Amino acid sequence: MTTMTTRRTQSMRRRERFWGLLFVTPIGLQVVLFCIVPIGIAVVAGFTNWNVIKGTYDFIGLDNFFEFLTDKYFWTAAGNTVFMLIPIPFYLFFGILFAIGSHRGTPGNQVFRILFFLPYISSVVALVVMWKWLFNYQYGLVNQLLAGIGIQGPDWLGDPAWIKTTIVIMIIWKMIGITSIYVLAALKNIPEVYYEAARLDGASPIRMFFQITLPMLSPAIFFLTIVGIIGSLQTFVEVQLFTSDGGRNYSAATITYYIWQKAFVSNELGLAFATAIFFALVILGVTLIQFRMSRRWVYEGE
Amino acid sequence: MKKRSAAVAVFAAAALVLSGCSAAQTESGEHTITFMGWGSDTEIAVFNDMIAQYEDKYPDVKVDYITVPAADFQTKLQTMIASNKTPDVFYLAPENVMPFASSGIIADLSDYVDNNDLFDPANVWQKAIDMYRYDGTTPGKGAVYGLPKDIGPFALAYNKDLFDAAGVTAPDPESPWTWDEFVAAAKKLTNGTGDDKVYGSAPYSLESAVWSNGGDWLNADHTKVTVTDPKFTEALQWVADLSLKEGVVPTSEEESSLPSFQRFMDGKVAMMGVGPWNQGGFWADAKFNWDLMPWPVSPATGERAVWYGGIGFGVANSSKDKEDASNLAAFLAFNEDAQRTNMEQGQAVPNLIDMAKNEYLTSDKAPANKEEFIRIIEDYGRRATQTYTYNSEWFGLFNSNLASVWTGEQTAEEYAASVQDEMQQMLDDGIAEQTK
Repeated sequence: MTTMTTRRTQSMRRRERFWGLLFVTPIGLQVVLFCIVPIGIAVVAGFTNWNVIKGTYDFIGLDNFFEFLTDKYFWTAAGNTVFMLIPIPFYLFFGILFAIGSHRGTPGNQVFRILFFLPYISSVVALVVMWKWLFNYQYGLVNQLLAGIGIQGPDWLGDPAWIKTTIVIMIIWKMIGITSIYVLAALKNIPEVYYEAARLDGASPIRMFFQITLPMLSPAIFFLTIVGIIGSLQTFVEVQLFTSDGGRNYSAATITYYIWQKAFVSNELGLAFATAIFFALVILGVTLIQFRMSRRWVYEGE
Repeated sequence: MKKRSAAVAVFAAAALVLSGCSAAQTESGEHTITFMGWGSDTEIAVFNDMIAQYEDKYPDVKVDYITVPAADFQTKLQTMIASNKTPDVFYLAPENVMPFASSGIIADLSDYVDNNDLFDPANVWQKAIDMYRYDGTTPGKGAVYGLPKDIGPFALAYNKDLFDAAGVTAPDPESPWTWDEFVAAAKKLTNGTGDDKVYGSAPYSLESAVWSNGGDWLNADHTKVTVTDPKFTEALQWVADLSLKEGVVPTSEEESSLPSFQRFMDGKVAMMGVGPWNQGGFWADAKFNWDLMPWPVSPATGERAVWYGGIGFGVANSSKDKEDASNLAAFLAFNEDAQRTNMEQGQAVPNLIDMAKNEYLTSDKAPANKEEFIRIIEDYGRRATQTYTYNSEWFGLFNSNLASVWTGEQTAEEYAASVQDEMQQMLDDGIAEQTK
């Protein structure tokens, strides 16, 4: 009798394991085929002089790494990439502001939510086309409005001193919507009792915001910062669409743009992979530092 | 045990079915070749039509026509080359001939050109075929690696109505203006302010100015950067000054706000460089009379000069059906119907000399001076300098901050001096790559 039961549970477990494995197979295959294998190829190829057109594929050690680290255009691109972090505090600030504004049944809040969310779900290509017109030097709405108050607007897209700023403004505008949606969800999760207790103790609304709301929002803000920094560091489409060659004097090119250019314009796949690996490690490092620092300011519940 | 043998049987059966399929295919002799290109919707429609005709003529061959947006073409092609799936026939830019030929990606078509039933090489513009020649060291000579889809001479067009209104007479096609005469005419044509501003000319072709002045980006054997040569900087400065000093060309900010092409179409620019591909658009939308005139000449040489471009068809060296692929390339390049359609739609000057001279030149559509296109092809047109080098990174660098000359932030001399050394470095790297 006992042996029968153990055998039955054993076979049941085996069957469960079989089905379990079967169910994770698709996602497992996806991870292996589209993540692990390509990363493996990239890591290996980063140490070669792989060039598709010439057909070369020889191991050249660390040469690729020396090449891009001594390339002044790589460092220009690195500087521009850091510049792309500027939008993050801005859209976090405005996102939180809008979320709080539309949190408590403000009239028309649904409409506002949709309006703010639209840029995020719109195609970047369409947005860039629209922005190119808005920021057109002679006929753009922005410069015409500025002219209305007596200011001659800059050549937003052509002037190397302004092109990055234009991209930054566009990223801010695009990200406010998704930020406020995340913050709104986090706001809804703050138990009302905290505010009731605070009110009983006679706390002012400002104090409640800084002592209750902000700490309770910190996990969401942390998440948005991590995702935002990674996204900013990977800025590419805007650069490629706003400028045809990375901007005058490479003024808008980011590291991702540099990698793309090395891979698909210069055909130096090996060099591109080496740069990509290096860049991935940098992003990983930045993210780890953020996690380490998060202990100081992110509230993780009792 | 039983289960395993069942599985084996299934696999064996599947294998049989699969191999049976491919065997059946080879028996009937039918096979598929791939052709990859880009183009406007009309162009794609013309090609689909041509491909259908080709398939009628060669019933054994099916053509798989892949169209890619022009901007993605190079990336896509490169990916396909990397994965050994190079299309049998594909668009080949002249500047790709050298790298592609030296690494064996494109097939040598010389024998095919000399012995084929589809076209007579003597009836094709010499320069159109020469764009795809490479002898192992110099482009433009030696074996043929591609057939021309078209050849694009860049001519100077003008708005006759604006000329008449300003009392300017265009020069005789045989005796071009000098630069000074051009500037004087452009000044007369420039007038108005704000949204009504009419400019004498669109930004002037830098190639035309530099070459006519006796300069060039590189020396004759394309090993030394020569942009600091006074002949070069003088021409560059002259082009910049058309806007900065003379005010007869839109400023670079105005140009980026509203390209001169649009201004020309609106009758707000009187002269502009155009190619045969612009004719169709002008026929449909231009509300003014227009014609071509010869490019003005620099006092330094008195010679006209300008560039011609073009794109061709290459055949993959890895193609299993090179003969069929070459036939397709030749069919698309020289088929009379296709050439005529392209001509009638105002897309190109025919590749076939007899058709260009008998049908194109005699048609009554604008421009009246069609001969100018032909003269550029036969006489004074040149290949762009950057198509003679292994890669054009040196040229990309030259262009990357050229706008600082157009805006007057730097003089031509200052700019040339600031980029010369790095351009030379990039050119040297390219030469080293080529010989590696």
